[in-house]
Amino acid sequence: MIYKIQATSQGHFTRVQHYLLYSARQKPHGEFNKARWLYFGCSQLLVHTVRMPDSTYGRSDSYRVATTQDKADRSPKKKKGGTKDMDDLKKEVPITEHKMSIEEVCRKFNTDIVQGLTNAKAAEYLIRDGPNALTPPPTTPEWVKFCRQLFGGFSILLWTGAILCFLAYAIQAATEDEPAGDNLYLGIVLTAVVVITGCFSYFQEAKSSKIMESFKNMVPQQALVIREGEKVTINAEEVVGGDLIEVKGGDRIPADIRVVSAHGCKVDNSSLTGESEPQSRSPDCTHDNPLETRNVAFFSTNCVEGTARGIVICTGDRTVMGRIATLTSGLETGKTPIAKEIEHFIHIITGVAVFLGVTFFILAIILGYSWLEAVIFLIGIIVANVPEGLLATVTVCLTLTAKRMAKKNCLVKNLEAVETLGSTSTICSDKTGTLTQNRMTVAHMWFDNQIHEADTTEDQSGASFDKSSVTWLSLARVAGLCNRAQFKAGQDSLPILKRDVAGDASESALLKCIELSCGSVRAMRDRNKKVAEIPFNSTNKYQLSVHETEDPNDNRYLLVMKGAPERILDRCTTILVQGKEQPMDEELKEAFQNAYMELGGLGERVLGFCHVLLPEDQYPKGFAFDTEDVNFQTDNLCFVGLMSMIDPPRAAVPDAVIMVTGDHPITAKAIAKGVGIISEGNETVEDIAARLNIPVSQVNPRDAKACVVHGTDLKDLSQDQMDDILRNHTEIVFARTSPQQKLIIVEGCQRLGAIVAVTGDGVNDSPALKKADIGVAMGISGSDVSKQAADMILLDDNFASIVTGVEEGRLIFDNLKKSIAYTLTSNIPEITPFLFFIIVNIPLPLGTITILCIDLGTDMVPAISLAYETAESDIMKRQPRNPARDKLVNERLISIAYGQIGMIQALGGFFAYFVILAENGFLPSRLVGIRLNWDDRSTNDLEDSYGQQWTYEQRKIVEFTCHTAFFVSIVVVQWADVIICKTRRNSVFQQGMRNKILIFGLFEETALAAFLSYCPGMDVALRMYPLKPSWWFCAFPYSFLIFVYDEIRKLLLRRNPGGWVERETYY
Amino acid sequence: TELTENKKEEPKESWKDCIYNPRTGEFMGRTASSWGETVSMFTLDDNVPRYQDRVANPGLVIRPHAAEISFNRSDPTNYNQYIQNLHNLLQRYNDSIQERNDLCMVGEYTEQDNEPIKKVCQFKRSMLRQCSGLRDSSFGFAEGKPCIIIKMNRVIGLKPQGDPYINCTAKGDSPLRMQYYPSEARLDKMFFPYYGNKAHADYVQPLVAVQLLLSREDLNVEQTVECKLEGTNLRNDDDRDKFMGRVVFRVKVSE
Repeated sequence: MIYKIQATSQGHFTRVQHYLLYSARQKPHGEFNKARWLYFGCSQLLVHTVRMPDSTYGRSDSYRVATTQDKADRSPKKKKGGTKDMDDLKKEVPITEHKMSIEEVCRKFNTDIVQGLTNAKAAEYLIRDGPNALTPPPTTPEWVKFCRQLFGGFSILLWTGAILCFLAYAIQAATEDEPAGDNLYLGIVLTAVVVITGCFSYFQEAKSSKIMESFKNMVPQQALVIREGEKVTINAEEVVGGDLIEVKGGDRIPADIRVVSAHGCKVDNSSLTGESEPQSRSPDCTHDNPLETRNVAFFSTNCVEGTARGIVICTGDRTVMGRIATLTSGLETGKTPIAKEIEHFIHIITGVAVFLGVTFFILAIILGYSWLEAVIFLIGIIVANVPEGLLATVTVCLTLTAKRMAKKNCLVKNLEAVETLGSTSTICSDKTGTLTQNRMTVAHMWFDNQIHEADTTEDQSGASFDKSSVTWLSLARVAGLCNRAQFKAGQDSLPILKRDVAGDASESALLKCIELSCGSVRAMRDRNKKVAEIPFNSTNKYQLSVHETEDPNDNRYLLVMKGAPERILDRCTTILVQGKEQPMDEELKEAFQNAYMELGGLGERVLGFCHVLLPEDQYPKGFAFDTEDVNFQTDNLCFVGLMSMIDPPRAAVPDAVIMVTGDHPITAKAIAKGVGIISEGNETVEDIAARLNIPVSQVNPRDAKACVVHGTDLKDLSQDQMDDILRNHTEIVFARTSPQQKLIIVEGCQRLGAIVAVTGDGVNDSPALKKADIGVAMGISGSDVSKQAADMILLDDNFASIVTGVEEGRLIFDNLKKSIAYTLTSNIPEITPFLFFIIVNIPLPLGTITILCIDLGTDMVPAISLAYETAESDIMKRQPRNPARDKLVNERLISIAYGQIGMIQALGGFFAYFVILAENGFLPSRLVGIRLNWDDRSTNDLEDSYGQQWTYEQRKIVEFTCHTAFFVSIVVVQWADVIICKTRRNSVFQQGMRNKILIFGLFEETALAAFLSYCPGMDVALRMYPLKPSWWFCAFPYSFLIFVYDEIRKLLLRRNPGGWVERETYY
Repeated sequence: TELTENKKEEPKESWKDCIYNPRTGEFMGRTASSWGETVSMFTLDDNVPRYQDRVANPGLVIRPHAAEISFNRSDPTNYNQYIQNLHNLLQRYNDSIQERNDLCMVGEYTEQDNEPIKKVCQFKRSMLRQCSGLRDSSFGFAEGKPCIIIKMNRVIGLKPQGDPYINCTAKGDSPLRMQYYPSEARLDKMFFPYYGNKAHADYVQPLVAVQLLLSREDLNVEQTVECKLEGTNLRNDDDRDKFMGRVVFRVKVSE
């Protein structure tokens, strides 16, 4: 198990991004086999980057894209094979122009800072570099995709069957006077089945990826360039490197530009980096990193205000956006886990079918059957072996789950991705709320030199401190007044904690806390009328407001302030202790520091509060407070206390991770420890070094289970080193990663066999979203590109849906197993008739048409109904599926379906068959070896066991009646099968029969069987004949036997966990 | 109160009742005695199959066993297999064997349901005269006037009503002369009902021979003949079963 956490950004109370990667892999070598399940409920959680919601205190500090400068040469890339190209794209952005002087840049592009390019030069560059547009990657033509569906999976087998049918018919037509149409009809039916299934899958798969289009939508249409000194508006595609361009507020930037002059220019990079606050642009290089420096503006980002002039340094696919687009659309995504499972299962079934088919074909030839007969046997074996309806069943099951998830605001774009979340062993996310409730709550307070636990119970029964303390009342007053959040109207009947609040998360938390403990905040605000206010800004890092006092006789004004604790403390000279103002001495400062550290160490977001009563002589009633040009005191205040907030863990995630601000990797590590991501007792190399007081270099890295990797280190790591880290540390923290690094982490995890989920909303997340086994995009905040790149969209941006997704994914995997076990079981009673037909020469007990009636008729609804089965146990407590060991279809499932239940079913079918023939005069002893005469059209006086003589047609009717009875018997034994398949471990009596669809399925298949048997005209259409009522009961004992057999098996399974029965039969 | 108590004691109905219902003692929807009946249903009678609905209307077959009888009348090796086939069939009808059997009432069923030993009605081979193979061991094949023997399938307990006889017609332009043996081509009622191969081991079914009196012009021409069972309630016009109460065969004699 590996946890990784990453955090970026600086300063307190800023937005945090961590990666926590928690992966669980059973590694093949015992050495690394140390899966330990810390988060039971959320064992699916692996890499997690958390970005706290923007708060009033949050300086928007977003993804930093680390860059390197070493690849200075911006030579146009040549296509030297796709892989090399992609590897190149995965490296950091090679822009160096921001560090050059403007003159150097001009020289490089042969351009002029005033005149711009000459038209001739522009034309030359345009030819050399190509248009400034994104080139879509080559796509597979639709007809190729369609053909893939038409000839994939079982289709090849069925095509073979169909072609053999036509072949057999052709031979018959050529050699016989009145060829029987059976083979022709069967061929047509098989072809129809293949084509319909093919179309079905094709339309399911036809989710034409529009990634490139979504990128193109971001590209501006027009650009204002200066060429030969004249301003011209040209098509953005014609912009070339070296062009001097001008942008103003509202424009989209038409290429990557090096700013040469700017006037109050601000750009919104959110489409690229997810950074929401506009950033100013200027001609000076402010950072080595081209993505952070102010003198570069990027293709497709928006200029929100001001104007700027710049030289184009990159166009088209070479821009930062272009690289991401090419990377995203060019990334090869592997098959989904469920697709791999289905493929594996198709291989098994095809293998069995081909083996049996070929064996019996050869056997038939050896036994002296004609080629034609041998071919007909082959057709029968193929048809019996292929579960024709199964792929459709699987698709329907997945669709049902997808619909169920869509209802929970979890839109699944790629049907197969429904299951992926369930097998996910690693989640890589940049949002809070995956593990937490995304509902900030006040957790602790520090006043009177003591930390108090906040009481968040509705009835205030859990109070742990004296509410009458003057300090507390003051603190509550500051928190209530210096707060812009308010309850939305019309919620008075709701419990306070459930009310909706207009305002940011921290203020809402404070509002609810005060409302709970001190009563109506609105009343408090009414009593203390607000006269002035300075809202939070990132320079001050505080918020203050000035109020009238409650006492109408007191004309002083009350100034209240909250903000980053150390900033607040700096403005305070006194502190309120036990209701008395005391001077702030070193001792109290240290107490403050300790409390601050302690709360911060708990991973909580801490705010400081202070107030002051402004002296009446300086600020008489009616004083005009100017908040722009502050004309009143904002220091020499009185410190009141601290309050800290957490985002509480989800109930479904018992050992919940408490996501709190932590800005440095060190803080991230503290959080990781605090929330159990780095579990107690586990140390990093640095910890060990500190404990043993030795240099870091002397510590054996193998001794440290935990590891913190800094983003800047990450980019220097080789693949082997990366694997080494992932493999040798059980708990890893990644800090500060760029999109490329995110992609590298995803690939690293995948290389080690993990199934990785990635969440993201920005364009820069899209490569990782695409590469991940399942990419999850945000429906509201997500960019179009990220939605296109993702497999799943959370429509309400609510991460609770991910938990739903995991649960649904695991459930559908279990249920598909059941569904497949059910469907495969009936293959044995379908195949055995052919085998006995060939080997002991009895009349055919079950025909191909009836087999199709089972596979495509009666088995369908019950198989689908198993998708509605509820979970047997708490599937969230399970480890994620190990794709190497836990297969959808394994040998135990085959053993149960084919070897055990299937055999009993075949017995039931044969019993019905022998009963009917015996009751009509052909005792079993007479049947053995009768086949040649039986199927001979010219023998019209075939003698039965009683001496009666039968014409060909008469005995054929009996034979077809047997087919019908065999078919009905399979339906009867499948009743028991579907009931036993409801559970894999529990008894049916524990699970109950609450699945209404399944009950409907039981009736439906029975009704269908009765219809096929009794409907007039069926004898002509499908050669199915009415059964005498008693024949329906032939298979009943076998049905009962199946039920009892499996209940006993499951009983032994439960009684003896890990025992022989489980090892051999638990699928 | 007693009533309500009783109600409580009675277990609630549930789906589990399908398997075992403790109130009625039903197991999988049947009581023990019902199960007994079910099991006994599967025990079969030695002499009569449980169901005969599929053979209610017997089929007709011809001997020699071939759909197309084609031979050169001047070459005995050509038709040897046919006459061998006929000799084999008639082995059991040899007069020496048949004389041991009983003479039965002409035109009446030989019903003997209750007799422990069933008697067998006599059908002497000699009754087929020219087609008996006694005087002409080539059954007319050497002359180019072949005998075809028609028999009706045995069905236990079958009692054809009316007066069943075989009627053959040639499908073609020129009417074909035919001679039936025994004359009138009757399948006498005395041979019915049949009691099965255990109780009625020596039973022989009645035969009708039809001799195709081909003229010189008919040689080398394929003749299609259809023989039907007529004068009775038994069906001979099933769409699908071309052998139910009828039989079609082709004969081509060359020189």
